[in-house]
Amino acid sequence: MLIRKLIYIGLPLLLSLTGCMEDDQLWEFERPVYDLPYSGIFVINEGNFMYGNASLTYYDPETRQVIDDVFFQTNALPLGDVAHSMTIRDSLGYVVVNNSGRIYIFNTSTFEVKGKITGLTSPRYMHFISGTKAYVTDLYARSIAVVNPQTMEVTGAISVSNSNSESYQHATEQMLQYDRFVYTNCWSFDNQVLVIDSELDRVVDSIQVLKQPNSMVLDRYHSVWVLCDGGTEGSPYGNEAAGLLKIGAGSREAQIVHRFSLGESPRDLKINGTGDTLFYINGDVYRYAVNAYADPELLVESPYKGNMWTGFYGLEVDPYSSEIYVADAIDFVQRGMVYRYTPEGVPVDIFRTGIAPGGFCFNF
Amino acid sequence: MGQGITDSVFHIEGVSIAAEQIFVKEQAGMKQTNVDSLVMQNKASLSLSDLLSENTSVFIKNHGRGALATASFRGTSPSHTQVSWNGININSPMAGMVDFSLIPVYIIDELNLKYGSASLADRSGGIGGSININNRADWNEKNSIEYMQGIGSYSTFDEFLQVGVGSKKIQSKTRLYHNYSENDYTFINRGIAIIDPVSGAITNPIDTNDHAAYLRYGLLQEIYYRPTSNHLLSLKYWGQYADRTIPKPTSYEGPDNSNLNSQEDRDHRLVADWKFYGNFGKLMLRSGYADKRLDYNQMNQVPGLGLIPAIWSESRQKSLYNTLYYSGALDGDLSWEGNIDLNYHQVGSADSVSGAGYEGQRNEFSMMFAVRKSFRDRLNLNLMLRQEWVDGFRVPFIPYFGMDIRLIEGVDLLLKGNIARNYHLPTLNDLYWQPGGNPDLLPEEGFTVEGGIAYQQEFSGHLMETELSLYRSQIDNWIIWIPSYRGFWEPRNIRRVLSKGVEYNIQLKGFISEFNYRLSATYGYTSAVNEGDPLIWSDESYGKQLVYIPLHSGNMMAHLGWGNLFFTYQFNAYSERYTTSSNDVSRRDRLYPYFMNDISAGSTFRLKRVDLSLELKVYNLLNEPYHTILYRPMPGRNYQLVFKIHI
Repeated sequence: MLIRKLIYIGLPLLLSLTGCMEDDQLWEFERPVYDLPYSGIFVINEGNFMYGNASLTYYDPETRQVIDDVFFQTNALPLGDVAHSMTIRDSLGYVVVNNSGRIYIFNTSTFEVKGKITGLTSPRYMHFISGTKAYVTDLYARSIAVVNPQTMEVTGAISVSNSNSESYQHATEQMLQYDRFVYTNCWSFDNQVLVIDSELDRVVDSIQVLKQPNSMVLDRYHSVWVLCDGGTEGSPYGNEAAGLLKIGAGSREAQIVHRFSLGESPRDLKINGTGDTLFYINGDVYRYAVNAYADPELLVESPYKGNMWTGFYGLEVDPYSSEIYVADAIDFVQRGMVYRYTPEGVPVDIFRTGIAPGGFCFNF
Repeated sequence: MGQGITDSVFHIEGVSIAAEQIFVKEQAGMKQTNVDSLVMQNKASLSLSDLLSENTSVFIKNHGRGALATASFRGTSPSHTQVSWNGININSPMAGMVDFSLIPVYIIDELNLKYGSASLADRSGGIGGSININNRADWNEKNSIEYMQGIGSYSTFDEFLQVGVGSKKIQSKTRLYHNYSENDYTFINRGIAIIDPVSGAITNPIDTNDHAAYLRYGLLQEIYYRPTSNHLLSLKYWGQYADRTIPKPTSYEGPDNSNLNSQEDRDHRLVADWKFYGNFGKLMLRSGYADKRLDYNQMNQVPGLGLIPAIWSESRQKSLYNTLYYSGALDGDLSWEGNIDLNYHQVGSADSVSGAGYEGQRNEFSMMFAVRKSFRDRLNLNLMLRQEWVDGFRVPFIPYFGMDIRLIEGVDLLLKGNIARNYHLPTLNDLYWQPGGNPDLLPEEGFTVEGGIAYQQEFSGHLMETELSLYRSQIDNWIIWIPSYRGFWEPRNIRRVLSKGVEYNIQLKGFISEFNYRLSATYGYTSAVNEGDPLIWSDESYGKQLVYIPLHSGNMMAHLGWGNLFFTYQFNAYSERYTTSSNDVSRRDRLYPYFMNDISAGSTFRLKRVDLSLELKVYNLLNEPYHTILYRPMPGRNYQLVFKIHI
């Protein structure tokens, strides 16, 4: 019978054509075991939105050793979608993974995952109030989550909902603390810095700054410095020239210290370990002494020509050596680059990172 | 415009083996294929994205079952594939592309693919090629009703109804369809860890593909009127509503009622044309209107306030199309064709949460003239010239020259080739999107050379058709969106892409004793490389394959019919795709080679005057876990039962 012949010939042929897709093999590999000295730098690579390719790169400034993708390599576990920031407390790293709605907790010497805090809507930054209490800001929750890092649970929420507004307010970002007050900047279509009483877990005040405050630092005199990018041209929220503002110690008012040209979009305000010099990216890297009242000084020139590219995407200052680390995301769809400079802007080292390096976390 | 003319037909038990004329001067140098009607029938219950990826050399980037699916033709961007429905362009004037998951195969009578510069016969902008969807009257049809019901895994229900009434003078066909899927398949979720608090051991949960349901329903109405043998009027309307929830990232561990995304698409398309066949040639007048509404929103639960939108984006796109077409011929050896198009687009987009949005419009005016000459049935020459203006701006001149050489007299063995320039205009989003739109963008500019061999041969009840093509296409001013100094993403004319490739396809059909068979296969080698200036010394994207373009792709379909029974095997494969512009591969972000096997078997039978058919389809036959987008696992083995009744 022809049909039987066809089955005899056809079926093996059919099965021989099939390759096996390698999904399982991706997850079966020998994992390296690390036990590193306590000092090192984590580069937080955002990855691409919805690609789930965020990662952590580890760099040892002593030996200049770079370990790629430490979290995944150690745990066979992807970090998730858009890693936003990281905090270290008691040898544990807390990585906030924005579009995965979670924080991964891992050992900073072995990189082994220890747990996770879940149930966060769109988390951005984590700030420790005590060993058993931390705040997590959020882009969309209209509240700041109160979490217990020990039990890894969300224990409460501080409402930051602005019901008077048409816009989606408030979206909270970075946090810093002076006395018992936690300051948080509201960047997205907003111009406020909220003040939270960490004993009451409640917003007690708000400070108006310029449009779109994107980063903040606290200096040695306990003044809060706020960098506002001024919004973008054509935005319905409007735009204005970007500015650097200062909120005096304990004060609830901001004064403009430096005004940028319209169209400039400065970002990533940072401070050195001694708390007297500010750094930020405005295409190139600038520095500014907190008590100088002089113009900001160009420190590191971006290798990008013209003002077409983002160029530098992330910045951090070593709290002890005051060395400067600048991240370059290149086209955002390939592995980025970190440049390391002396405090005076002299190149020291360069290394590759993961995709879209946006932040750093020092483990000292 | 010319379609192949059937010059010989074998007809046995309802299966016809027809060889199309391939030496046609109006198509000289052009590579085009018409998807086999058997394939169209076999895939009638699916989306066009499934058919294109499984039966053509077009690569489909599929964001998940029922989700956004965009095309890449010869290594180009989704907007470089021009798509038409009954002669009107249906690419979104805002985004430039087409979501092929929204086009049911069921509404298509004829599917024509033009590769590369061949698409210039219809319009500019198809640097990759064009996909042309057509409906056609069947003048032999009287009254008929057909109903098709599909029932599939993951609560998938597909209903299709077709009613035709008509005579030799007037024909009406109505198609209604309704497709729904809960789409709740399960998968091993590699994006989430269950961490043992004591041992620290990690396991991955088995999760359900939540928030991924899709619904699509629509109506296609065609009316044809033929008052005399030289006039033909037609009116066609296609309306569709689609509502999809877009799954969260699989790694998402936020509250249940947050990060909820959904998209609604509402489309209305209307086209009317009048064709007149006179002694002087053929004249056609066509007008069309397309209206698209696309709403996208993201909701989050805010305590005390309920579900609050974080994104509430609404866009509206309206387009008006007008064409005047004329073609004529002098004896059999010389013909000409002229075409004037006048199109207008008006779009608006607004996000009511952020208040961001833009409004834009565009006028397009295009003139085309073509002349074709045939020499002693051995050589065909084809010259097509096109000039376009957009909002008064003159797009550079677009010439095409193609030829076919019949190598041996009386044998369908042709040497083909063409050389052409092409332009693709920036989309309205590229120009005006808020924030980031760049009104200074230049059109993308393509220069393509291609050549190939086509051969077809009939031998006692068998027909073989095969074609091998080589192409080289350089595209300058390629637009990509990249973050700017100003803090948001902006489109820029920065890339230069060199796309080189080989395409091979073969089709065999015929009879072996009581069996009828059909075998078809395609293979494509696509090298689409970025040759734009590096952004910086550390930029490693130079000389690398573009993201999501496989170097090798191929597919195969085997169909066997025996009496009332039929059996189909479908195989589809791609080599690895990169997700980084530098072609870095990591275990974490790997899109390994893809191999997919599907089979289906069924039977047709007749009860009195009613034709019935029942078919069982098995997808992902080997039940392989896989993903084609990072961290978006796809379903395992799944089934569909299709029942059809035709009166």
